[in-house]
Amino acid sequence: MSGEHAEIRELLALFAAGALDAADESRVVLHLASCAECSAELERWQQISGGLRRLPTPQPSAALFERARVMATEQLMQHAARKRMRATFILLITFAWMVTLAGWPIFRFATGGFLSLLDIHFRQLWLLFVFFSAATWLAGGSAAVLLSLRRQQERRFA
Amino acid sequence: MTGSFTLVREGGLGIDAAVAHLRRGDPDALATLMARYQNRIYRYLLRLVHQPADAEDLFQQTWVRVAEKIQSFDTSRNFDAWLFTLARNLAFDHLRRTRPESLDEPVSADSPEDTRLSRLAASGPGPFEQLLTRERAGRLAMALENLPVRYREVLTLRFEEEMKIEEIAAVLSAPLSTVKSRLRRSLEQLRGALEQANPGEAWS
Repeated sequence: MSGEHAEIRELLALFAAGALDAADESRVVLHLASCAECSAELERWQQISGGLRRLPTPQPSAALFERARVMATEQLMQHAARKRMRATFILLITFAWMVTLAGWPIFRFATGGFLSLLDIHFRQLWLLFVFFSAATWLAGGSAAVLLSLRRQQERRFA
Repeated sequence: MTGSFTLVREGGLGIDAAVAHLRRGDPDALATLMARYQNRIYRYLLRLVHQPADAEDLFQQTWVRVAEKIQSFDTSRNFDAWLFTLARNLAFDHLRRTRPESLDEPVSADSPEDTRLSRLAASGPGPFEQLLTRERAGRLAMALENLPVRYREVLTLRFEEEMKIEEIAAVLSAPLSTVKSRLRRSLEQLRGALEQANPGEAWS
């Protein structure tokens, strides 16, 4: 048995499986043209490959398909609802911050005119205003984060 | 294997319209994809876990997981490979819980006394001339069923799902060389099992 013959023989199973690269495939084809023994061996591998390709396909029942479809659709809807909720949440926070930040200058402008913004007491009041707003939103934000973490945990253990 | 389907452009890549619609949360697209892949996914799961009840459970879990994870699907990847990877992960998690021993790496058939060499040395007829017949297909299915799960998997992906070696490598997250050697060993072991079970049968 020559070295080439033995090497080609090793490749025949993968050749029948269509899993060789182009170079090896060419080598096998070339060898097969002059080797009856390898051709017979290849035929056996092809019978196995062909048999595997023709195995009957088990099919899921219509009821299983429907169950899976309903469950997956529900998951899809939940995901979309969560996404919508997140978007609404972000929109509301952005809006709230805008109102908070713009509230004080607008209030001062409406009650005392634009010049009162330069009032000597403005800076202290403004700081107080910012402090209380930030504290409120920090508390609100922390509560939202904690709630979302808890929901994630609940989903994980569900 | 699969019907014709349209491709749409998303992120500069052509991807299946149903996949693109599913990414936007369309339940009809989910039903379309399920109808297209149901037989393949169910067959793959059944080959991995054997038990129809387990395969059915995993089938449902796979589609729920698809709905859950479709947003994270990288459109530059092959959808088939992504889908089969999801199914595979679920099946292997299940096997790890219920039959951890079934996931042990199969013993290499490369020793000098292996079935391949003894088979090559053997002369005379073999059992494969009429695999087309139902009886032989049944024997082949049984021999396949008795192979280690990693061998069954690579055989079903190559011959039943008709995946290319590159696609199988993507599903298995393994190098091409590993896929090829596993495929060769699985074929050799399958042939050895068939010969052992049917020693008297003639070759074609």
